Parts: sequence; structure tokens; C-alpha cells
Amino acid sequence: MRPASAAAGLVIVAALAAVPLVVRREDILNFLFLVLLSIALAQSWNVIAGYAGQVNLGHAAFFGLGALVTRVLWIAGTPVVIGMVAGALVAVVFALLIGWAAFRLRGAYFAIGTLALSEIFRITVGNTLAEISTLPQTTIATYRLANRYWLALALAVLAIAAVAALARSRLGLGMQAIREDEDAAGATGVDALRLKLIALVCSTALAGLVGGCFAYYHISFYPSHLFSPGWTFDAVLMTFIGGVGTLHGPVLGAIFYVFFKEYLAIRWVDFHLLIFGALFVGIVLLLPGGLVEAMGKLRGLLESAAFTPDRRRPRPEHR
Amino acid sequence: MLHVDNVEASYGPFLALSGATLEVRVGEIVALLGPNGAGKTTLIRCIAGLLRPRAGGIRWDGASLASVAAHRIVERGIAVVPEGRRLFATMTVEEHLDLGAFAPHAHAGRVQRLEEVYTIFPVLRERRGQLVRALSGGQQQMVAIGRALMAAPRLLILDEPSLGLAPRIVESILGVLGEINRRGVSILLVEQNVQAALVLAHRGYILESGRIVGEGTGAALMDDPHVKRAYLGPLALRH
Amino acid sequence: MTIVLQQLVLGVLIGGLYGLAAAGLSLIFGVMKVLNVAHGELIMLGGYGAFWLFALSGLDPFAALVVVIPVALVGGAILYWGLFGWVVRYHEETRIKNSLLIGFGLGLALHAAAVQLWTADERSITTAYAGSVLDVGGVSLPVVRLASLVIAFVLIGGLHLLLNHWRWGRAIRATADDWEAALMTGIDVRRAYLIAFAIGTALAGAAGTLVSVGYSISPSIGLEWTLKALIVVVLAGLGSMLGTFAGGLILGVAEACSAMVFGGPYREVVGLVIFLVVLVARPQGLFAK
Repeated sequence: MRPASAAAGLVIVAALAAVPLVVRREDILNFLFLVLLSIALAQSWNVIAGYAGQVNLGHAAFFGLGALVTRVLWIAGTPVVIGMVAGALVAVVFALLIGWAAFRLRGAYFAIGTLALSEIFRITVGNTLAEISTLPQTTIATYRLANRYWLALALAVLAIAAVAALARSRLGLGMQAIREDEDAAGATGVDALRLKLIALVCSTALAGLVGGCFAYYHISFYPSHLFSPGWTFDAVLMTFIGGVGTLHGPVLGAIFYVFFKEYLAIRWVDFHLLIFGALFVGIVLLLPGGLVEAMGKLRGLLESAAFTPDRRRPRPEHR
Repeated sequence: MLHVDNVEASYGPFLALSGATLEVRVGEIVALLGPNGAGKTTLIRCIAGLLRPRAGGIRWDGASLASVAAHRIVERGIAVVPEGRRLFATMTVEEHLDLGAFAPHAHAGRVQRLEEVYTIFPVLRERRGQLVRALSGGQQQMVAIGRALMAAPRLLILDEPSLGLAPRIVESILGVLGEINRRGVSILLVEQNVQAALVLAHRGYILESGRIVGEGTGAALMDDPHVKRAYLGPLALRH
Repeated sequence: MTIVLQQLVLGVLIGGLYGLAAAGLSLIFGVMKVLNVAHGELIMLGGYGAFWLFALSGLDPFAALVVVIPVALVGGAILYWGLFGWVVRYHEETRIKNSLLIGFGLGLALHAAAVQLWTADERSITTAYAGSVLDVGGVSLPVVRLASLVIAFVLIGGLHLLLNHWRWGRAIRATADDWEAALMTGIDVRRAYLIAFAIGTALAGAAGTLVSVGYSISPSIGLEWTLKALIVVVLAGLGSMLGTFAGGLILGVAEACSAMVFGGPYREVVGLVIFLVVLVARPQGLFAK
């Protein structure tokens, strides 16, 4: 990473870390918490879908597993960080099971398999753990929002750092090769199955940690809600709107999405999904690089306006 | 009728054809020969409209085929029997032949043409209701040729029809091609069986590494030293 | 014993609708390798279409099929032109991936629109004969559901005939088998895609209509029915419409058995588990050609 961006990143992180010390208003902290957690969630989906090119339509399963395991362990007395790690591990185990089964096959099996898995969890958990999960009074009394905030910040930083490291590494390049053309990558000796599984492990471990943080943050919820398809929707939308397969995309997308959603939620409840769904389809078809691509094009336009139109890029011959 | 002019074609960065020129005149059988990977199938795909050349032109009946959609090529009178036959796995013999006459111009006389195809390939009549998966390689090749004939083509293009077939079957199929030609259909034959192809063909072209390196009448090519060494002798290029 | 038989019969009755729902998805995927995961939302829209026709004009839902099917045909054509037709530019793997994403977004948008328009409440069409029941040897067959099963079978049978005897039906099958060979045979593959997509959508609309009268609809049934259709498609395999119908019946019966053994709330889970098992053991499906 270039020293300038690294320095800028550190400054931003430091500034964000200082926020709870300066700001007392809970609604701002809650909002920022949501943004940070969303960034982490989006990046987790970005790893498997953006870099390895495998569309996961059941991401909620891994978020939910992390959240559920963390919640159960934490309420039972385990330190929350250990609970979160346990949650992430459970998520990874299930991910490997479905990944091993589905990655051998091509096409849509992984996408639908993960979708089926998350629905199985949602329904089963809804039946077996139907009651609302609420934190005990003692915990609520000592609840510090700032802790949750810092945890979310740490996760967001972890997620971004992980994706940044992955993108540059040999593993990451191999994954991107698979994303572009799995057959061609295989021909050059890339072990597609291994790389897909590694991407899946990273992706679901992160998702599990994000779920764990959510379980630490929310005072009460219905366990089956942890597996709601909405979590998958959110991850997919944010990543794509921002720019799938890029480092900054999920960050931009998360900020855009949470902001917009909170703003719209004041007026209409589900309307934001209609807009985002339509926007998402438009992006997939017309601007697959999302906001990152749009910004790049804007920058290009501004730059070319500044220079004389002297440079002509050679155009390829074919029709 | 068919003029291929200096066609260049590529698959991504890989240049498969770097300037191929050939011609098929009315009533001819033209052989297109060359080793594996020379670009023969690529050239056929260009003519069939499945691959757009990046340079050069293909003219049929004087008109350019450049902007003609692949499924319209058949309407113009060119029918292709693709390499490996490319039959429809879930369909019967008769369904194939019926589909062969899908194009509007072929729809009219199809009953009669079906009869003609069954006359040329009597074994297909026996097996008309069978799924093509159940047929032997030679019979499948007959279905592929029959399917193309149902489109009433003026030019029949065949890509390696003898691939994987026993010599006796190859002989009979090539004999059939001769018969079809006598009935007025021009033929462009891509073949690995150089000997048989040159015996049948009026003229031939040799394609190597994406360009035409030789052409001549069937007899002349058979006597050509390069052809003899590379394709006909004991050290002939193995396909 | 009659209780068991009763449950199995009810399972068969809904299984026919599963088969119908799956047939549309299977046709579209088989022909153009596009997986429309918003298929369930199209079913939902078909259901609402029938519901509002009934609520506003009293049109009997079975008669409404005559309206819903052509409208859904046109709707499917529009969806193809506007949306899914654009992904066929790509080769198969990218096509599947992009169609998954587009279907995902479309489903999301349609679901949200439905909630806005019609609220999240469950609706059902109650006709005058809604309560009628046919009693066969102690087992009661709700007439409405029985009629739905028959219609589902007729529609699938009709599709089967269409694919085998209609010129464009064969062209569609040829395209599904080998699209380049189809092009070389003179078939306009894009038009085959359009027709297949329109027919698939029409079947979804019909299924939705039948669901609204025999069962109930709400905006959330979209995901549920998409999953049912996917389960049946994977279970039955591609290529045979009648096999897909049979797969639907099998799912319906499996759900009934599961509900009897594990209890009602787990009815939905068994299908998903079946899906995962088939995925591991025999991904090409039971009746694949």
C-alpha cells in the first residue's frame, strides 16, 4: 500500500476511534456502528463473490450462525470475544460442508445451496428457538455502546485489511483468475477448488464475526431473524452498488446504503428495497463496477477535460 | 459462388487465421486440408456466421456475408455439417431431419426432400423414430448430413465428416457426397483423410498455421511433393 | 390410516402446483441457461392478478387463467427484452451468475413493490364453491385443489405437446441441446430464448392463480415458491416436463410425510434438505434426459 493512503487510512481510523470520546449522542454512535458493521459485512461477501467470483445467496446463514453461537455463549458467561471466535468457527464449518459439496459442481449449485442452507436454519431456528432473546438486566445495566462501536470499528478495519492483503497476494490473484475464467485458470495450474474454499473460509469467518458483533450489540431479537434473507440482500446490495471486486466498493456501498436506508426508513418502510433492487439490477447490467467505476469515469472525464485532446487510444479492429 | 478473401480471425488474443483465401465455384467439390489446429474449423465458423472475422471478407453470390446473422446463412443456401456432428441429444432421427427444414425457404418442399434424404440414406428411414444417441457414429453422421440437406442448400460444407468412423463407412459417406454433388450441390469438404478427399474433390486448398499454403486440382495436389510428404506418405502428419 | 392417506393426498394436490411452478423455471433454464430466482415473485404476481380480477370484477379464478396466461406471456416477453435478454451475450457461466444477480434484484424489487401496493397481508380467493369437498373412501378432496391439480397437469401436458409437435417447440428443444448447432440449422436462437422465457413466465402466472384460489398468497410467498421450484428442478433434472411434474408430486408427498413424522413446522425444511442431498448424491436429477 502506498504510504500516502496508509497514512490517510490511519488518520481516518484514529479519528473514528476517537468519536465515542467526543460525541455523546447515542443516535450518531448507533448510526456509525451500523455503517462500520455494514462495511465489514459487505467486505465479507465481497471476498467470495467479488474476488473468487462465487455468488453466495445465503450469506445470512453464516452471519446468523456467528450471531447465534456468540449470543448463546455470551449469555452463558463466556467472554464475548471468545464467543465470537466460536461463532465464526461454526460458520466456517458449515460453509466448508456446503462449499465442498457445491464447488465440485458448476453453475448455480453453490448459490442455491447456500440459499437453501440459510432458509433451513431460519426455519429450524424459528421452530426450536421461537422466543425472543433478551439480555439479562445485569448486562443491560452495564451496557456500554462505545465498546460495541470500537468492536465494529475493529471488524471493519480487519475486513478491509483482509481484503487488501488478499487482493495483492498470490491467493487473491488466483481467485480472480478463477472469477474471470475457471477453465483457463485450471489450465494454468490453479487449484480452483482449494482457492474457492479458502475464499469461502475467509468470507464466512468474517461474516460470523460480524454476526457475533451484532449479537453483542442488539439487546433483544428473535433468533430466526438472524437468518433472515435481508442480511444477504444487504450484503449483496452494498457490495454491488459500491463496486464488487474492489477494495473500496463495499465501503462506499455500505455508507451509501445505510445512509439512504436510514433516511428513507423515516418515511417508508420497505420502499428502499424497491429502489435498491432496481438500482442493483441497473448496476449489474450497465455499470458492474458500481460507484467505484462511476467515480473512476467521472475522474477520467474531468482529467480529459483538463488536457488537450491529443491522446488517442488505439481501438481494436474487430466488430 | 463462395469467395473467401484474406480472412483473419482470432479467438481473443490468439490469431487463428492470418489471411485465408479460397473459392468454391458452382458444381465443384473443394477440399480444405491441413493439420490439426491449422484453422480449418475456424474458417468454417466464419463462413457459418458463428465467428466474425477481424479482417477480410466472405462473399456469397456476390453479396457480403459480414452482416448476416448466423441463422440466416442457411436461408442464403449454405448448410453446414459441423465438426463432431453436433446433433441434438434429446431428439429422434426424424425430428432432426424435420428441423433441418426449419428455415422458411426450406419449409415448402420438405416432405419431398425428406423422401430424397431417406433414399440417399436408407438406414435412416429404418431408424427414423429412434433417438440419435442410440445410433452408431456412421449413422449419426448420416443424420447430420441429412439435416443439412433438408435445408435445400446450394453449398454444403462438411467439417471432418470421417472423424472417428471406420474406413468402410467413410468410403460410403464420401460416395454419397459424390452423388449429392452430381445432383447439383457444391461441396466444401474439410477432411483429415487427405487421400480420400483428394480423390473426390475437383480442387483443393492446404491450410497450415492460419494461411493457405497450397492450392490446385485434386490430381495436382496428390502429386505435390509437400502434400505427399506431409499428408500422404508414411511420415504423414498425424492428426 | 385415513389420516395418513388424507395427508398424502393433500401432498399430491399441492405437488402438482410445485411441478407447474418448476416447469416454467426448468424450461427457461434448460433453454437459455438463465436462472431466474425471481420466478417465485412472478408466481406471486400471477396470484395477485387473479385475486384482483376476482375482487374487482368477480371473475372466477379458473376463468381468470384465460386472462392471466396471455398477460404473463407478454410480461415474460417484456422481462426478456428489458432484462434477461441482456445476459445472453455472455457465455454460460457468466450468464448463470448474472442472471442469479438480476433475478435477485428483480425479486427484491417486486417483493417490495407488492408490499407497498397490497400490504403484507395474506390473501385468498374464496369462491362460492370454495368449501366443496369430494369424499372418496373417507378421504376428503377439496374440489378447488383437485381442479388445480388437473389444470396444472393439463398445462404441463400441453407444454409437453408443444415442445414435441410445434415447430418452435422443437426449435426450443434444439436450442437447449446445442445452440450453435441450432443456429447452423437456421433457428433464430434469440427468438427461441424469448419464446421459452415468455412461456415459462406464463406458467408461473398460471401457478400463481391456482395458488391464490386453493391456498393463499402474500408478498412473501415469492422466495418460498422460488425455492420449491428450484428443489423440484434439481430433483427431477432438466429436459423432461413430465418428469418435472412427477418431481413436484414427489416433493409434495415428501413434505406431507415430513409433516406427519416431524410435525407441521418442519414441512418446509424437508424440501430444502432433499435439495442438499440431491446436490451431493445425484446433481443431474432423477429424470434428467
